[in-house]
Amino acid sequence: MTDFATFASSRTARLVGRGLLVVLIAFPVIWVLFIANGTSFGSAVSDPKDFLITLLNGLTAAALYFVVASGFTLIFGLMRVVNMAHGAFFLFGGYIALKVQRGQVGEGGSFGLSSSQVGLFQWVLPLIAGAAAVAGLGLLMQQLFIRWNQGQELRQALITIAVSIIMADQMLAHFGGVAQDIAWPGTFDKFVNLHVAGVQYTLTRLVIAGIGLAIGLGLWLWLKKTRTGMVIRAGVDDRAMVSAMGINIQLTFAIAFLVGSALAGVGGVIGGSFASLAPGVDANWLLNSLVVVIIGGMGSLGGAAIGALLLGLTTNFAAAYLPADYTFYSIIFTFVLLAIVLAVRPLGLYGRPA
Amino acid sequence: MRAVVLAGMLSVVVAGCGGSKDKSTSDTTAAAAPAAADTTAAAAPAATGGQPIQKAVAPRTGTGTPIKVGVLSDCQGAFGTFDNQDLAGVVAAFSQFAGAKPKNPNKPRDGWTGGAIGNHPLKLVGVGCSNDQADTAIKETRRLMEQLNADVMIGPLSGDESIAVANYAKQHPDKTFVDGAAGAQDTTLKVQAPNFFRFNGDGAQWNAGLGDLAVNKLHWKTAAVISDDYSFGWTSTAGFIADFCAAGGQVTKRIFPPLNTTDYSSFAQQIPDNVDGYFVAVGGAGLIPFLKAYEQAKGPIDGKKFIGNLFWGTPGQFEQLGPRVAGAYVGGAGTAGDLDTPAAQDYANNIIGKWFKKIPPAGDPASQAASTFTYGYYVNTWGLVKGLEAVKGDISGGQKKLQEALAKVTLPAPYGEITLDQNRQAVLDVFYQQLYMKDGKLAVKTIASIPKVDQTFGGLFNASTPAPGRNFPKCEKKALPWQGKEQAVKVVG
Amino acid sequence: MSARRPTASLDRGTAAVLVAIAILAPLIFNTYWIGTLLTQMLFLGIVAASLIFLSAYGGMVSLAQVALYGIAGFAIGNLTTNGNTKGLNLGWTPLAAIPVALAITIGLGLLFGALSSRSVGIYFLMITLTFSVIANLFFGQVTSLSGFGGISGIPAPGFIGNVDHHPDRLYYLALVLALLVYALLRYIARTPFGLTLQGIRDDPVRMSSLGYNVTLHRTLAFGFASFIAAIGGVLFAYWNGHIDPATIGLGATIDVLVVAVIGGLSRLEGAWLGALVFVLINNYAQRIGFVSDRFHTLIGVVFLVIVLLSPDGLMGLWGRLGDLRRRGERPGQAPTGGSERGSGELEPTV
Repeated sequence: MTDFATFASSRTARLVGRGLLVVLIAFPVIWVLFIANGTSFGSAVSDPKDFLITLLNGLTAAALYFVVASGFTLIFGLMRVVNMAHGAFFLFGGYIALKVQRGQVGEGGSFGLSSSQVGLFQWVLPLIAGAAAVAGLGLLMQQLFIRWNQGQELRQALITIAVSIIMADQMLAHFGGVAQDIAWPGTFDKFVNLHVAGVQYTLTRLVIAGIGLAIGLGLWLWLKKTRTGMVIRAGVDDRAMVSAMGINIQLTFAIAFLVGSALAGVGGVIGGSFASLAPGVDANWLLNSLVVVIIGGMGSLGGAAIGALLLGLTTNFAAAYLPADYTFYSIIFTFVLLAIVLAVRPLGLYGRPA
Repeated sequence: MRAVVLAGMLSVVVAGCGGSKDKSTSDTTAAAAPAAADTTAAAAPAATGGQPIQKAVAPRTGTGTPIKVGVLSDCQGAFGTFDNQDLAGVVAAFSQFAGAKPKNPNKPRDGWTGGAIGNHPLKLVGVGCSNDQADTAIKETRRLMEQLNADVMIGPLSGDESIAVANYAKQHPDKTFVDGAAGAQDTTLKVQAPNFFRFNGDGAQWNAGLGDLAVNKLHWKTAAVISDDYSFGWTSTAGFIADFCAAGGQVTKRIFPPLNTTDYSSFAQQIPDNVDGYFVAVGGAGLIPFLKAYEQAKGPIDGKKFIGNLFWGTPGQFEQLGPRVAGAYVGGAGTAGDLDTPAAQDYANNIIGKWFKKIPPAGDPASQAASTFTYGYYVNTWGLVKGLEAVKGDISGGQKKLQEALAKVTLPAPYGEITLDQNRQAVLDVFYQQLYMKDGKLAVKTIASIPKVDQTFGGLFNASTPAPGRNFPKCEKKALPWQGKEQAVKVVG
Repeated sequence: MSARRPTASLDRGTAAVLVAIAILAPLIFNTYWIGTLLTQMLFLGIVAASLIFLSAYGGMVSLAQVALYGIAGFAIGNLTTNGNTKGLNLGWTPLAAIPVALAITIGLGLLFGALSSRSVGIYFLMITLTFSVIANLFFGQVTSLSGFGGISGIPAPGFIGNVDHHPDRLYYLALVLALLVYALLRYIARTPFGLTLQGIRDDPVRMSSLGYNVTLHRTLAFGFASFIAAIGGVLFAYWNGHIDPATIGLGATIDVLVVAVIGGLSRLEGAWLGALVFVLINNYAQRIGFVSDRFHTLIGVVFLVIVLLSPDGLMGLWGRLGDLRRRGERPGQAPTGGSERGSGELEPTV
């Protein structure tokens, strides 16, 4: 064998990899804090306000990435099912909520709403409706197609790809191709004075962060403190053993799929309020979820949180703190980050082998 | 009938007789409109005031060799929703001018029956379904032209698709192509396929006159532009920059968020506060997220500080933007549905509104007549009909006679006369518009027309300049043929 | 273990008939079939074959094959066009560009392979998907090489001439290359390298302890598969004359996966069978009245049904038909394509 081969598997390689990773983290931080020549804002030291806002943008975006990806990772962690229809679920949840909201407000379906027309309940009910609809759909898919192919990861992934192709086309037919959005309730659509560096920050994004934290905490408590949660955790570690102990693993699977899909729906409603719903958004959010869970390690909730933070911060800082002639490449940055993480840790930061 | 046509030309030509016109444009205008010499002496109140009403021809059928027509539309992707608008334009034009009849007045995509030119029946061989990607457009074009053996094709819908189709056309000189609604500049200016004709404007032309609006009416001295980072966004932005800078404005920042950006907040944050206004050419799924990100970064949208491109005013799409954008201005797409002229209203109510009961998914046909998609496919199909009429439907001999005739076609179109330049690109009147609230709903009002806009912007764009891009064109003050010729228009409602 | 070995389920007679039909095709079918449908089937099949090779012999289901095929196509486009508004416009002769395009693709393929070779199973699928997304975004954003509009007017080498005027020339080139690729892949599988690769597929731990360098073999296999994919990409560039980032978008990536799965992920012949079915559905679905503009739904349903019914795709069904026929004559022989085996399994042991 060649020198390359011995090198690649050696400890030295791993050390070099780690060193590279440290440099790759340290350099951007120093750049943003102190240098940032030729960027829109300049360094954080010289313009703390825009730095703080970018940081908040990154953190709040991360909360949404987490909500969507946590559903994905929950399903994968327990069942090893890579749900490639997760993005389609996201979009479907958003569209259901949109229809419910426009029905409630009653301004006619084909006009966008402004937040002043929308009360808190007219956002919360659509949120529940969207999540419930997707939960039902997810359960249906699992019971009809996935359940019978346990343990065949690729086949299950292919099934969900087929479902996503069908769903994308049907959603285009039923909801149209024009971008539409769910209106924030007037309650959220205001600025909050943070009393730091004169930052006025939008409450909508703080609400997203709040929902993200609540869901994270809820999932953690559920998995740690309840019986179902414990079965799920046990199932992640050793499915065969859980089944052998006479626990109805099929019921647990169904619950996990229900919850995981509902989270895609919740994400879709928030995403539709924060951005828009349109064909193609499903693919974007599938990719976002994949990036988050691949960085964090598939099946790990903590990993999803870390992955979401990395993705949210990278996209927002790359767009604002790359020199002006390079901001065009900000979108590539995320994926380069991903490739680096995987090269160093093939299973993601918190991943464990199956 | 002839008298009506002549009367219509009177008004249009007025705008064209200014002295500062670019040479190439005046040459082709003269060649394309031989009637011009007789009518230049007359004056009319507005450039678009007196287009004639187009009477429908009697139903026709023919027994000769059929003329096989392919239509390339988008039924997937960002413009998939407008599939039926595209087809409505095509079918209405064939029905109005070639004696065809919609197969299904509730679904334009079903095509037409009857219709003939000379003794040659018009046969629809297929409707291509693309997704605004060049790759798919080429596959569908091949299917229409090579498998289904179409003689002529109408389409495609979007910019990059049209560049690829024009290149395809160049390889197939014995077939004839008219555009659908695509607005890429390169399609005609750079590719110059002798058998590709475009009776609609390009993305830059559509924004002519915005310099006058921004500098003289809104008193902007500086502006920032925010645009999708791809060719249509660049082209659209190029039109604004060229016109705004020509009128003396300065563009101080250009922001190009990549397509498929999920979170626009960092880009919105970078929009400078110290400029007088913004030109926004973010389209498709990105526009609403961008506007929301702007609101969440900078607060409510002040209409007086915003000019958008056609995506802000396309019927079937702008309604979704919501009340937040009321007061903003729109560059438009050479269309003005509310124009108070017999021709414009007749087009909506008695042409599109007559041939169709419904254009799915939105429904009401008349209000969708002014969509850039309906109108684009309509004028291009109409142009094709006139070309075919001139050769009596004879497409033998590699269609050379048809192509010669098409280059000379002049359309007394609903929103102003359309002629072709030497690259077979439309010279047309364009409009700018404003969004406002009407009965609690967002609506579009046309403000002014800009006569005889050609593709070159007084030579700024030509075959050897780079394509519009992130840094081109530069911001330069210069004279444009249409400067100072903007005219307020009368609108209905 | 032996049951997992990919088997050729086409007997010699059938294969000979198919090749004969392919050679005589220009006499049988019209130019659209030759120039568009069948040529497309051949180069799509080549790309899918590179995917199936990795999957069947290496246990690696790669979603990067379309990206690699696109890289070759973009390289050809940048090297050979001249006077376009996009791309580098280097204006090389088409023949000189081929080896460079192949070399670039193989180089990047080895790099991708080195980065991903430590991942297995579903993780490998995901990381290769990431590569394809990077490639798509790269060509979309880097306007000096392409931009979203892509590169048009790519010329084919002189001996092919204008593809539209002489569709059969490119068809025959694609046919010859497809047959060579098939033969080469079958040959590689029997070399020591191929056998080691199959050993690694079945039990990487054992192979590693026997002294084989697992990651190196995986990397080299990936590099080799990128060479195959690049051949498809070059053919695509000549065939289409145009390439843009959508050519290697998520949709296209999934399309080639669909092709491979329809054909059968464990049999090389399946690549071309899957490609044929896919091309025909794509082309003709629009003409079926009740689907027309909803033909993507039809494609999705067909795909779903095939995945649910036959994990080995159409080749699996073919194999099972053969087993049914043979069952009476040779009792006791195990079916080669039964669902109990399931090509869907990625891990050698569950």
